[in-house]
Amino acid sequence: MTLTLALDTSTSMTAVALGEIRDEGASLIAETNLEAPRAALTHLVPSIMRLLESSGHVIADVGAVVVGRGPGSFTGVRIGVATAKGIAQGLGVPLLGVGTLDAVAERFALSETLLGVLGDAMRGEVYPAAFDISGGRVDRTGPDEVSSPERIAERWSALDRPLLLAGGGLRKYRSVFEDALGGRAQVAPESMWAPTGESLLLAAWRGRAAGTLGDGDPGTLLPVYTRLSDAEETERSRSGRSDSVSDNGVAGPDPVPR
Amino acid sequence: MTARLRPMLKADLDRVVALERATFPSPWSRGMFVDELTQAHRHWIVADSPWGVVGYAGLMIAATDGHVMNLLVRQDAQGRGLGKALLSDLIESAAEAGVDRLTLEVRRGNAPAIALYREAGFTEAGVRRGYYSDTGEDALVMWTTPLDEESMSAVRHALQERASAALGAFEVGGAAGGAPLQHDLILAIESSCDETAAAVLRDGRELLSSVVASQVDFHRRFGGVVPEIASRKHTEAIVGVVDEALRNAAVTLRDLTAIAVTYGPGLVGALVVGVGYAKGLALATGLPLVGVNHLEGHLFANVLADPSVAPPLVALLVSGGHTSLVHVPAWGQYRTLGSTLDDAAGEAFDKVAKALGLGYPGGPAISLLAETGDASAIPFPRAMLRSDDFAFSLSGLKTAVITYLDKERRAGRDIDVPNVAASFQAAVIDVQVAKAVRAVETCGVETFLLGGGVGANRALREALRAAMGSRGVRMSVPPLDLCTDNAAMIAAAAHFRLWRGDALAPDAEAVPDLRLA
Repeated sequence: MTLTLALDTSTSMTAVALGEIRDEGASLIAETNLEAPRAALTHLVPSIMRLLESSGHVIADVGAVVVGRGPGSFTGVRIGVATAKGIAQGLGVPLLGVGTLDAVAERFALSETLLGVLGDAMRGEVYPAAFDISGGRVDRTGPDEVSSPERIAERWSALDRPLLLAGGGLRKYRSVFEDALGGRAQVAPESMWAPTGESLLLAAWRGRAAGTLGDGDPGTLLPVYTRLSDAEETERSRSGRSDSVSDNGVAGPDPVPR
Repeated sequence: MTARLRPMLKADLDRVVALERATFPSPWSRGMFVDELTQAHRHWIVADSPWGVVGYAGLMIAATDGHVMNLLVRQDAQGRGLGKALLSDLIESAAEAGVDRLTLEVRRGNAPAIALYREAGFTEAGVRRGYYSDTGEDALVMWTTPLDEESMSAVRHALQERASAALGAFEVGGAAGGAPLQHDLILAIESSCDETAAAVLRDGRELLSSVVASQVDFHRRFGGVVPEIASRKHTEAIVGVVDEALRNAAVTLRDLTAIAVTYGPGLVGALVVGVGYAKGLALATGLPLVGVNHLEGHLFANVLADPSVAPPLVALLVSGGHTSLVHVPAWGQYRTLGSTLDDAAGEAFDKVAKALGLGYPGGPAISLLAETGDASAIPFPRAMLRSDDFAFSLSGLKTAVITYLDKERRAGRDIDVPNVAASFQAAVIDVQVAKAVRAVETCGVETFLLGGGVGANRALREALRAAMGSRGVRMSVPPLDLCTDNAAMIAAAAHFRLWRGDALAPDAEAVPDLRLA
């Protein structure tokens, strides 16, 4: 059995878990979920150390690391990803990536519902993802993206189905969705809006079956940004280009090095 | 049992003081250990294991005499050769530091310790009656014979077989004579601005590798560093850069003594990538994590280039993010005499280069053009501010250049770009040199250091060298690749910090406005 360490700092929650991922599911050994806005760098490693100690393990027992790749706060995502890279490289074990919004969706895995997860993307935008949850399956309906709450509310309203809503984006835009969806919208309790250690393990279990965890190389795993830096966004809107964002979240080097 | 010897850290002192109290009737206080760690001519080590600190020892060196100050092995770890390992490390280090003979005091009733010291070549030379005030017990005073090759070889033979077994992979001694007192192997990581860098340094001076992944091509078209791009590129590059540094040094993570990382000053988003990653690496390997002030790194770049550089000294730190004069009475003691009130020197070069259409980064472009220009062509202002302080102001000069360019263009005159570049550069250099000379004279030091990326500017180096040389002040400038941001200098500063017991706690933050103090 491979002891797996899972962590995510893409939202205001610092979520950490120790567990095992088996063929039939993920089993949790211990988790800590700490609401620590803008303080992930302070709390992440101490949380891992406490978790190891309280469960009678040492770091060398860990055989795989799972990290939430976002989307979320750019700096928050990077703190989790960079720390996970250091741990996986230092131990010489695989580093596997899961979507942060997928981990939120796992918290509703036993429901029968259409779930809309809304990450807070700042600057008046959200990271939306919808999941069809039924019979123990959690099926994502589209890729990660960034958009205006109004556009997503309109899109989800057009589905003409009851929708359960979760995610930190609701702190600012709850009324936009309630207005657009009317009685079809139900908002999950706020305690269910962020990923937890356990839900990261579940997302990793499902991701393993789906082959979406990446190649395990700590050097190649990247955060999910969905948009460029402001500087490059401005440059693009001026030049009228709108091709997709490359995997590393950077448009590219100066095409004509001087 | 696997244990390894490493420098004693201040973070170890809770454990060390607890062991001390549990073992000795008159234990050393925490304050005594702190004093020892921060003093020069000391060598304090611990035996670290997955079960925590299981032993420690310390040495004081006074000219050619070495004094074993303390040696302890935790009760449950005794009888496994750890005392021999600790003692042989002290003896090797003493010999390398030029110590001729070693001495110590030991309780007359402590038979196991006396036996260990005899095995290491110590013999009884006298008795101090009633030396231990708690019990009134006598102390035996023991001395070694002179540590020549023959006696050292006998001591090594006597001590090291079991010591090596006890410590697993740890290599005890074995270095050639004349090597420094403090053996270590440090991996350093730097990500404070737009270079992702890693380096491996042995014993604070032998650079085994230094890798710098520059992002300049990604920032150039924006005319300066875009913090979000810098943070993204660090995240993408850091694992590969560290792998390459380890590979080039032909070492593995297992060989290291410590990991070091820049934790400030710099761009906060860029710093947290390096600090988060380094914390993860330290957690996984069980190694101490040493936090380094980037500016102290620029100072230690000079030590890397020339190990004989030593305080008291004055340093001028000039880069794209910093311009300051620092008085260094001793390593670890820093008094910033003055800093720029507005733009850093490198920033002024970038902005003027942009106004001249020379692209980014501006420093190399301007200094190259200035070589063919007339430095006295345009009398740009020298902002000396008050003559009795060490503050700099560069935004007025930048504005003067831009105003000049606008005026000439409006008048329909062609701009002589080399003359503008040369005149601007001369104005910057005149102020830097004048303030540096005044700082050296005010502080009464005979050594001057230059550090930071603008230190790569040849005209600035030459002007400072001439000014310092004419006053009999020794000047040190690192080679170009150690002036610009790199991790080798971070490793060099970390070596100093490690042996003072400084390490970052697991909850440490990045400190974007970290000061040199």
